[in-house]
Amino acid sequence: MVKKKENSFEESLKKLETSANLLKSDDISLEEAIKAFEDGLEYYNRCSEILESAKQKIEVYNK
Amino acid sequence: MGERRIGMKPIKVSQLNGYIKRILQTDPLLGNLSVIGEVSNLKFHGTGHVYFTLKDENSKINCFMPYENAKGLRFELADGMEIQAEGYVSVYDRGGYYSFNIRDISVSGLGNLSIAYEKLKEKLRIEGLFDEKNKKELPFFPQKIAVVTSETGAAVQDIIKIIESRNNIVDILIYPVLVQGNNAAQDIAKAIDHINEHFSDIDLMIVGRGGGSLEELWAFNEEIVARSIFASKIPVISAVGHETDFTIADFVADRRAETPTAAAQMAVPNVRELRAYIEHKKYLNIQALNNVVYIKELKLKSFDLENMYSFFGRKVDNLKNKAEFEKNKMINEISAIIRRNELKLDGLKKELEALSPMDILKRGYGAILNDQNHYLRSAGDTEEKGRIKIVLHDGVIHAVAEKIYMKGK
Repeated sequence: MVKKKENSFEESLKKLETSANLLKSDDISLEEAIKAFEDGLEYYNRCSEILESAKQKIEVYNK
Repeated sequence: MGERRIGMKPIKVSQLNGYIKRILQTDPLLGNLSVIGEVSNLKFHGTGHVYFTLKDENSKINCFMPYENAKGLRFELADGMEIQAEGYVSVYDRGGYYSFNIRDISVSGLGNLSIAYEKLKEKLRIEGLFDEKNKKELPFFPQKIAVVTSETGAAVQDIIKIIESRNNIVDILIYPVLVQGNNAAQDIAKAIDHINEHFSDIDLMIVGRGGGSLEELWAFNEEIVARSIFASKIPVISAVGHETDFTIADFVADRRAETPTAAAQMAVPNVRELRAYIEHKKYLNIQALNNVVYIKELKLKSFDLENMYSFFGRKVDNLKNKAEFEKNKMINEISAIIRRNELKLDGLKKELEALSPMDILKRGYGAILNDQNHYLRSAGDTEEKGRIKIVLHDGVIHAVAEKIYMKGK
């Protein structure tokens, strides 16, 4: 089965969570913190983009 | 009673059985029968044929169900089960007996269906179809969901309504199937197989129907449906009837939903909640970054004011101590050198003093100088009548060299 690109919502969400956890760690350097924050923002944007793309299709299969 | 009358001449056994066979096979009733009875002495032959005895309180008949018919059985048979069997009476003329040759079996009534249900459930359980390790994880955010159910039932409407209320992104494919009746199970199984083969964009399936009697839900208790669900590469949520209905499909499915509504809820994430969640995460990230900066700032400040002082203070103290130590060491060394040299000097002074001419003069020697004040080292250093000075330790005598005698002259 081919997984489509939009399926990366879960992936993006996981990465957003990873960056959040990274940012919370005690021994993070300022540079790392800024990097994690920027990454997080990127994944947030990706998630947000997917959530905004409301183009649901409902169809009935015709045998 | 007189002599017995025999209407025909004697025949062979095979002729008799052949005759009986012909009679029975041409009888319009015996050729298409429906018989009710209790199953006993059930045997599954290795070839797939099924043998058993059908009985009531007074009589019994041997039954045979060939593999071709048995494989499509909608019910798992068991001894003690009351069934309704359709078929015809056939004669095995070589053995001289007749049996009921069965085309199809139907089972009704809660007790009988429960027996079939439990029997199949146990069989599939032993085979491992319900094992947790075979369960697939549902996709967190599916792309496209197939809903295998009746197009006209309430279930499909419930499912669409719930999905739409939670998620306006996921696509839905309604795949209409029969959900009750003799052909329902086959229809459902074929649909599951077909979706797996031909819809690569579908990543989740809901298979089910709304509530009904045990007979109405029976398709979901049939082996053929269980096998298709088990074989499905696409994760399957079963959603059959109400909370209290447990079907075989529920045990095989990757997840069981108590109702079609519950299936829709577990199938798709709630977009509103997700949006709130990622907003919250973003907010937390901003907070966290601010916090990191704040902590770094604090650290920097405390380093400036106190740590710097004490750090360099300690460093200066160390250097001071070291310098002091070196200084003392040097002073000690120099003092020692000085003391050593003083002693040496003292010795030399004594030595020198011992060599001083004054000491010699004191002992009665004198030094003689000419009038140019040069010491005379030789009698020839002056001349006769020359003026000389004789230096003694406490004074000088001016004299004249009266006569000079050189040694050896």
